[in-house]
Amino acid sequence: MALRHLVTGQNNCAPDGASSSNPLNALANAFLGQSSKAQSIKELPGSVSVPSTSDFSAPAPLSNIPGSENEFKQEQRPIVQGAEFIHGGPANDWIGSFRPPMVPELGGLEAEFDRIYKNTGTTFQPPLDGPPQRVLSGVLHSFLTSGPSGVPFQPLPVPAALGLSESDKQCIRDRSCIMARHIFSDQPEEYIQAQVNTLLHSLDIDNRMRGPMHGQYPELEQYWNQSQSSMGPAPMHNAADKWITEFGKQNNNPENWANSFEQQYGPNGWASEFEQHQSQMAMGQMGGANMANLAAMEQSRMLAQTLASNNDPKFQLSQGADKWVSEFSSQHNPGALNENWVDEFSKLNVTDEWAEEFSGGGFGESSADPWVDEFQEHLSSFKQSSGTSRGVYVFSENNPYVGHPNPMQEGQELFRKGLLSEAVLALEAEVLKNPDNAEGWRLLGVTHAENDDDQQAIAAMMRALEANPTNLEVLLALGVSHTNELEQGEALRYLYRWLQNHPKYGGLVPPQSTDSPYGPDVVRLFNEAAQMSPEDASVHIVLGVLYNLSREYDKAIASFKTALQLKPHDYSLWNKLGATQANSIQSADAILAYQQALDLKPNYVRAWANMGISYANQGLYEDSIRYYVRAVAMNPKADNAWQYLRISLSNASRADMIAACDARNLDALQKEFPL
Amino acid sequence: MDGSSLKSAQLLELMHQHLATDAGKELTKKVGLVYQLNVAPKKIGVDEEIFVVDLKKGEVTKGPYQGKPDATFSFTDNDFLGIATGKTNPQIAFIRGAIKIKGSISAAQKFTPDIFPKPAKL
Repeated sequence: MALRHLVTGQNNCAPDGASSSNPLNALANAFLGQSSKAQSIKELPGSVSVPSTSDFSAPAPLSNIPGSENEFKQEQRPIVQGAEFIHGGPANDWIGSFRPPMVPELGGLEAEFDRIYKNTGTTFQPPLDGPPQRVLSGVLHSFLTSGPSGVPFQPLPVPAALGLSESDKQCIRDRSCIMARHIFSDQPEEYIQAQVNTLLHSLDIDNRMRGPMHGQYPELEQYWNQSQSSMGPAPMHNAADKWITEFGKQNNNPENWANSFEQQYGPNGWASEFEQHQSQMAMGQMGGANMANLAAMEQSRMLAQTLASNNDPKFQLSQGADKWVSEFSSQHNPGALNENWVDEFSKLNVTDEWAEEFSGGGFGESSADPWVDEFQEHLSSFKQSSGTSRGVYVFSENNPYVGHPNPMQEGQELFRKGLLSEAVLALEAEVLKNPDNAEGWRLLGVTHAENDDDQQAIAAMMRALEANPTNLEVLLALGVSHTNELEQGEALRYLYRWLQNHPKYGGLVPPQSTDSPYGPDVVRLFNEAAQMSPEDASVHIVLGVLYNLSREYDKAIASFKTALQLKPHDYSLWNKLGATQANSIQSADAILAYQQALDLKPNYVRAWANMGISYANQGLYEDSIRYYVRAVAMNPKADNAWQYLRISLSNASRADMIAACDARNLDALQKEFPL
Repeated sequence: MDGSSLKSAQLLELMHQHLATDAGKELTKKVGLVYQLNVAPKKIGVDEEIFVVDLKKGEVTKGPYQGKPDATFSFTDNDFLGIATGKTNPQIAFIRGAIKIKGSISAAQKFTPDIFPKPAKL
C-alpha cells in the first residue's frame, strides 16, 4: 500500500466535499492540482480572503525558509477545500487545528481563521526558534500529543536550519511512520499517512518511498495485522513487556522522550518513547517493539550498506570486530529482544573503527554531526568500561550438533580425541540447550583456549562463572586468558579470587575483599599457601602465572617446573612453561617444552602457534611458516595465527604465497609448507 | 617499563629483551632507525606515555628521545597493538587517522609488524 496509490488513485471524493473526509486526497489535490486552488476558493462559503498565500509570505519566519515556504502554502490549500466538509469527525478536528503558528504579524488573519475554522481544543505550540534540538523535540512532541488529545498534528514551518542530516531524516521518517500507527491506531490508514506527511513536511523531510520504506511496509503491515487481530497475548508478548518495563524503570521522566530523542538516536531513545505511551497502547505495543527493532535494524543496515558499497579506502569495513556490535547491544538492550538483532548486525561485519572513521580520520578533526559524536562517546565509554576483553560469547552458525540427544557427552568425547573445533560445536549445542550448565561452559572455555582463542575463552568462562561463581578451575582459566590478552589488572583479580575461594587457603586472605589487589601482596599470599601444601600443584601453577604478570620470569619458570614434577603429563602445563620461557627470550628452551606438550596432545593448536612464534622471534621464518600453517589447518578460525603467518611469509620473501594466505587457502599452503 | 598500565608497555618490554638477542641485533642492522612512540590509553594525545624504540643502539626506553627521532608516531594502545601483531595495516591505519606521524616518511614506512617479537600464550 504505497503512498502513491493513496495520493493519486481512487479519487472518490469530489472536491465539493459532498462525501466524508478524505484529507489525504485533499492534500494530494493540493500538490497535484494547484490550478484547482482558485476554483476551490470560489466554492468557499462566505468571503474569504484568508488563504491568499501572499499574506503568508510576509511574516519573517516563513519568508526566509527556502523550501518550506511553498510547502506551507500548500498545507493551507487543503484547508480551503476542507472547509466544505467540516462536518466529518476527524476531519473537523484535523482541519480545525490547521492553525498558523503564533506569529505576531498574523494577528488579524488569525482571528479570521478562528471564525471560519472551529478550532477544537488547544494544541501544543512548540517553540520554533531556539536551538535546533529543542525545536525538533518540540515538533516531535507536538506530534505525539496530537494523538492522545485527538487533535491532529499541525504542520509547522520549521527553520531549515534544524540541520537534520540524511540519516536523521531517515530516522525520523521511519520512526514517525511507526509512531503514527500507534498513536492513531483507531484512525484509518489514510489519516495516519496524512499525519506522518504533515510532520515530515514540517521538518522538511522528504517522504518519498525510498528503499527502506518499501521493505518495511510489508513487515509492518504483517506485524500490525498480527497485533490487531490476535486476542490473547501474542508470542512476543512477554518478551516485549519485559523489555518495555525494564526501560520503563529506567526512564520515568515524561519529558524523557523529547530529551532522549535529542540525545540518542539509538534504540534507547525509541524505547523510552514507548514507555511514555504505554497506557494507551495495549496490543499495539507488542507489534511496536518488533517494529522499532525492525526500524532500527533497517536503518543500520542501510547505513552500513551505504558505507560498504563505497569503495573509498576510508570506508573499508574490515571484518572481525562484530564484538563491538554484541557489546553495543548488550549494553543498550538489557531486555530479551536483542538476540536476533545482534545476529543480524553481526552479519554486517561492522567494525568498531567505523564510528571513528566517521567522526575523525579523513574527515577532519571533529564531526559536524552531533549524532556521530554521541556515537563516538558511547563507543569510547564501552572501551573504558570494558577496556578489557568483551565478554559476549559468539555462537557459531549452522551448528550440526544442535538437536543432538546428548551434546555434552559428545563434546567431551570430541575434546578427548583432540578434535577441538568439533568439540566447540558440540559444547555450544549443549549450552544452548542448558544455559546453566557450568561444566559445559567451562569445557567450552578450555577448548577455545586450547584452540588459541582467548576472547571466546573468556566469554565462555564468564558464563561458567555465572553458573558457578566459586569454581577454581574457571577462575584460574580466566586469570590465564587475561594474562594472554595483556590485561594485567583483570588477571590479578581472578587469581586473587582463586585464593579467596579456595577451601584451604581462603583463610590466608585478609577479610576485606579488594577490587584491585596489589600484585606483590598476592604473590606473598600464594607463597604462604605453597608453604602450607608444597604438594599442591595448582598453587604452583597459579604462582607461575602470577610471576608472568610481574615479569619475574625466572621465578615463573621455577614454579612451573615444580608443578611439572607433580604433574608431568599435563600438556597445558608444558605449554605454560614454554610460553614463559619464550617470553623471557629463551626461545630454544621454549621449543623443547612445546614439543613435550605436543607429544602429549598432538592437536594442541595453541602449542603449534606458539612454536611458530618461537621460530619467528628467532628469525627462523621459513620454519615458523610450517608451524603456523599446521595451527591454522587445525583451527581455521585462529586469527592470530593467520596474521603471524602473513608476517612470516613476507619476512621469508614468500610474497607469492601471501595471496593464498589472505584467501585463507589451506590446501595451497599445506602443500607448499608441509611439516 | 614498570608502572604502566598500557598493554603496549608489555609488548615493548618484550621488544627490549628481544633486541639483546641475535635476531634483535639483526634488526638493528636491517633498520637502524630511532622511533619515538607516543601511546595513549584511549584517545590520541591524551595521557600519552612516550617510548623510544632505538633500533640503532638496540634498546627500548621510556621517555622522550634526547635528540631527533627519525619518526614519531602517535596512536592509542589498541592501535599500536594492532600494528605490532599484524592485525592492522599501518598504511590503512594512517589513512584512517588512527596514526599520526611526524618525521621522515621513509623511516615511518619501515615501521612494520615484522620488527616486533610476538608474545607467546600461556
